[in-house]
Amino acid sequence: MSTVLAFQLQTWNFFFRELVSGLAVGSLYALIALGYTMVYGVLKLLNFAHGDVYMVGAYIGFFLLNALGSPLAPVMPIVPLILLAFAASMVGCGILGVVIERFAYRPLRKAPRIAPLISAIGVSFFLQQTAVLLWSPNPRSYDTFSLRPDSSGIGELFRTAFTIGNFSIQYVQLVVILSTVVLMIGLSLFVWRTRTGKAMRAVSFDAEASSMMGIDVDRVITITFLIGSALAGAAGVMTGLIYQQLNPYMGFGAGLKAFTAAVVGGIGNIGGAVLGGLLIGLTETFTVGYLSSQFSDLILYSILVVFLLFRSTGIRGAPVLQKV
Amino acid sequence: MSTESPSGQPATSPQIGVDEWVRRSGERTAGPGGLLRLANRTPSIVLLAAFIGIACAIPELSSSGYVIGVDADTLLYVLLAMGLNVAVGWAGILDLGYVVFYGFAAYLFAELSSAHYNIHWATWQTVPLVIAATILLGFVLALPSRRLNGDYLAIVMLFFLQIFNNFTTNGYAWNWLGLTGAHDVTGGPTGITNVEPFRVFGHVLSNAPTDYVFVSAAGIFVVAILFHYVNRSRTGRAWRALREDPLAAEMMGIPVKWLSLLAVAVGAGVAGFAGSVNGAYYQGVFPDTFMFPLLITVYAMVILGGAGSLGGVAFGAVVVNVLLEILRTPDHARWVFYAAMILGLLAKLRPWRLLAALTAGLAIFGVVVHEIVGAVWARGVGGPIAVGPTSFTTHGFFATVIRHWMVLPKGTYTAENFRIGNYAFVIVIALVLACTVIKGWKRWALFVPTIWGACFVWETLLVEQAPTTRPLFLGVILIVLMATRPAGLFGTTRVEIV
Amino acid sequence: MSENGAERTHLLELRELSLSFGGLKVIDGLDLHVDEHEIVSVIGPNGAGKTTLFNLVTGAYRPDAGDILLDGESLVGLPSHKINHRGVARTFQTLRLFLNMTVKENVMAAQYGHTRSTIVEQMLQLPRARREERQINAFAEEKLGFFGERLMGYRWNQPAYSLSYANRRRLEIARATASRPRILLLDEPAAGMNPVETHEITELIGKLRTEAGFTILLIEHDMHVVEGISDRVVALDHGVKIAEGSFEEVATNPRVVEAYLGTSATVTK
Repeated sequence: MSTVLAFQLQTWNFFFRELVSGLAVGSLYALIALGYTMVYGVLKLLNFAHGDVYMVGAYIGFFLLNALGSPLAPVMPIVPLILLAFAASMVGCGILGVVIERFAYRPLRKAPRIAPLISAIGVSFFLQQTAVLLWSPNPRSYDTFSLRPDSSGIGELFRTAFTIGNFSIQYVQLVVILSTVVLMIGLSLFVWRTRTGKAMRAVSFDAEASSMMGIDVDRVITITFLIGSALAGAAGVMTGLIYQQLNPYMGFGAGLKAFTAAVVGGIGNIGGAVLGGLLIGLTETFTVGYLSSQFSDLILYSILVVFLLFRSTGIRGAPVLQKV
Repeated sequence: MSTESPSGQPATSPQIGVDEWVRRSGERTAGPGGLLRLANRTPSIVLLAAFIGIACAIPELSSSGYVIGVDADTLLYVLLAMGLNVAVGWAGILDLGYVVFYGFAAYLFAELSSAHYNIHWATWQTVPLVIAATILLGFVLALPSRRLNGDYLAIVMLFFLQIFNNFTTNGYAWNWLGLTGAHDVTGGPTGITNVEPFRVFGHVLSNAPTDYVFVSAAGIFVVAILFHYVNRSRTGRAWRALREDPLAAEMMGIPVKWLSLLAVAVGAGVAGFAGSVNGAYYQGVFPDTFMFPLLITVYAMVILGGAGSLGGVAFGAVVVNVLLEILRTPDHARWVFYAAMILGLLAKLRPWRLLAALTAGLAIFGVVVHEIVGAVWARGVGGPIAVGPTSFTTHGFFATVIRHWMVLPKGTYTAENFRIGNYAFVIVIALVLACTVIKGWKRWALFVPTIWGACFVWETLLVEQAPTTRPLFLGVILIVLMATRPAGLFGTTRVEIV
Repeated sequence: MSENGAERTHLLELRELSLSFGGLKVIDGLDLHVDEHEIVSVIGPNGAGKTTLFNLVTGAYRPDAGDILLDGESLVGLPSHKINHRGVARTFQTLRLFLNMTVKENVMAAQYGHTRSTIVEQMLQLPRARREERQINAFAEEKLGFFGERLMGYRWNQPAYSLSYANRRRLEIARATASRPRILLLDEPAAGMNPVETHEITELIGKLRTEAGFTILLIEHDMHVVEGISDRVVALDHGVKIAEGSFEEVATNPRVVEAYLGTSATVTK
């Protein structure tokens, strides 16, 4: 009898652990997806390079943490240290995003649709290989620190926050999920309550008409890239914190899944991007946990194909009417 | 550049019944001058024969296995580019899953002609079957196009590529929904080896790569002729109409959905043939071959050559693959870099005085920096130029010039020197971007440190790290192409309603 | 399905046609018919639903209710290219030519539905493919010849983007005729034309009926064209038919005047 109970508890334990893990990963996808959805809404461009901006963000955080003493012996208390890593990464990635837009996409505003897409692929490739060139293709690790929950310093992050029944949530997972929610709320407020946000929405409907109404379209697009890339940078640092491992190619897969998250949630829709990200994160984690870890990609992408086929406007998207 | 009207009369005099735009249309659609004109005027069959002739002559003329191997590889790429051109260049469909067809064909061929499943079918059985199966797969994978628009379709095709990669890499322990036991379908990360070469009319084509040069050349010949006729027929016109305006095409009676499927499927067929050649040539298939970087390479070839032009994409394939090969060895690569830079400056910079001033400024700048660095940091200069077999670039006049002009940190390419190169790389990128923005004389002034810096980065960083430089170069090609000449070398500049 | 005597089947018939976008009813219970060899004009203020009507007939939109019959057979639910094969061709309010293709290719492309050669036949240049190609070529030249010398000779091989605006409109009509339709839907063919060109296009539309035997359904704002060429005029407003009859009858109909001008006023010629 007790073995049955123990088994049940264990399966529930496993389930909740996977659930929280999936939410954390989903939050990462959500943050990256926000950048995709905003840029696609405004420029109708699938910004292939966005995933690699996220990768750069992870590396920026890494270098900062190493610069301020090794993570085992940081020169600052951890909370300001982490915040500084976030700040540096967000600023750095924001600038990178703006530069990319300015030089790789803006000259192609009037070109056929395929041109900025190809250019984006080129930029993505370029960023990946530059990372390999400058930072070596070997994986780096944020960590070097022990994951023991009671160690000091950054290890504190992995301490158990609280426990429900037999399973526990780590601080770091909470940090990731909550900060994503906070950022999403902040972004929503920005888009819906501020003038710039309104300008962004206007440009996403009709850029030409917006410019005739006195909106500086270039500036709006720059701000869009700035915010989107900064969010990707934040996601990069979070990835480093949770998963420790960085490599120059991490942007590709994450970027692909994040863009899908944006589409799943309804492209152009902020809440949808977050929802999509969480869904994909959960799907991926549960697939790995319950079905197969080797073929998780195959299963996940197959699910996504089927989803896109039947609901290409996404969960919260509006059907697009073609004007003839 | 001479201007000629379509009727061959000089452009200076007005012509009755021919308006200005029409008269000058020849100028607009012509590309870089004389060579393109010659290509346009020569009948296609002559160009094709010349191409095939050169490709097949190389194994006779060269005794180097390496060179013939490059020839064989290039011809495979030409086939791939021609196949991709159908969907991307003619029908305007962004087929990001193209490599799946190539890989599927290669794997299918391998499984039918190797010890993997112990099936050893004859070539005349396997190749048509593989082509047919790949065409079928093309139809299947293109089905999403019935419901999805361009961008989403592209993403879905990319998903198919991911699925394919996941399957081939991990397919050594595949069980069907847990019903069968673990089953080795794709050989996993090590792929399938000991694939049999082609057997044609009793001959075993085991003399790779020479035999496969001829096989691919024959394939290219056949495909080129078939596609030439299709392009001129109602299907070709319908594809082009579909690319122009799918809605108007549909209203004019063109079954857009079916033609989209057909375009992807036809391209897949060519990839199917190329895939089986790949399997037989390398006598093995490996998952790492058929991944995203290969897709980008083929796309770069198609776009550089000019999407929509059969000859153009073939040319693009040759150019890109040869350049990538050259970038493998520091010696050859270095030579090409400087040659390209000099040619580019010569071609683009007028008037001559500006060019002379720039060259002079560059020379002075380099020497001055060399002296300063030499005086300040003893280890900064005098380093070696090349690591590798000696060639005329390491000794002789050219090398001496470099040694005095360039700052070459001593010691072989150590980590510390790499770090200098790293910073220089970022700085040079910033300088290049700045050059695109600044106008006027300041731009030319900025050119001097930019070009010198680019050479510096080239010498200290890029030349050595070939595996990275090559894809980097591809990425740069794509970006620069889109910004300057989206039609590619041989494509015609398209007018588009935005 | 046609009965002898008074009532023959209309070539094109719309019965109780309705379409809404979200909450907005753009076409509401519309009844319209066009008989063979007729020229019917549809007029109405902007937003009346005229182009939407064309979109419904050609299959770009699917109606919520009602039926569209060509020679008695329903077109609803068919894909647009099949509708074209049945005999409906249109031009577009904002020109939609295949700009990067040549003039002749534009017209040749529209013949796709009436040719049969398969891709394999084309690749191998089998007899049927070669024969059809010759026929397509000749037919295209014939269709282009309808417009006088403007689209002939050297023009055949010029890209469509090199044409002047008026010639582009003509090319679009030529392209539509090449798909061998029973009925032509012309969407504002005189838009943007000066008086001389307008006069020419009016004559051209007449010629399309008398010499080429087409039936024509026309959307137009320029009343000179409407008056000059229509057998019958239908006026729409907010998706509803508000008048039908000869030009005189419709032009003086108070509801029509009100729809255009907002107050009662007399129409001046």
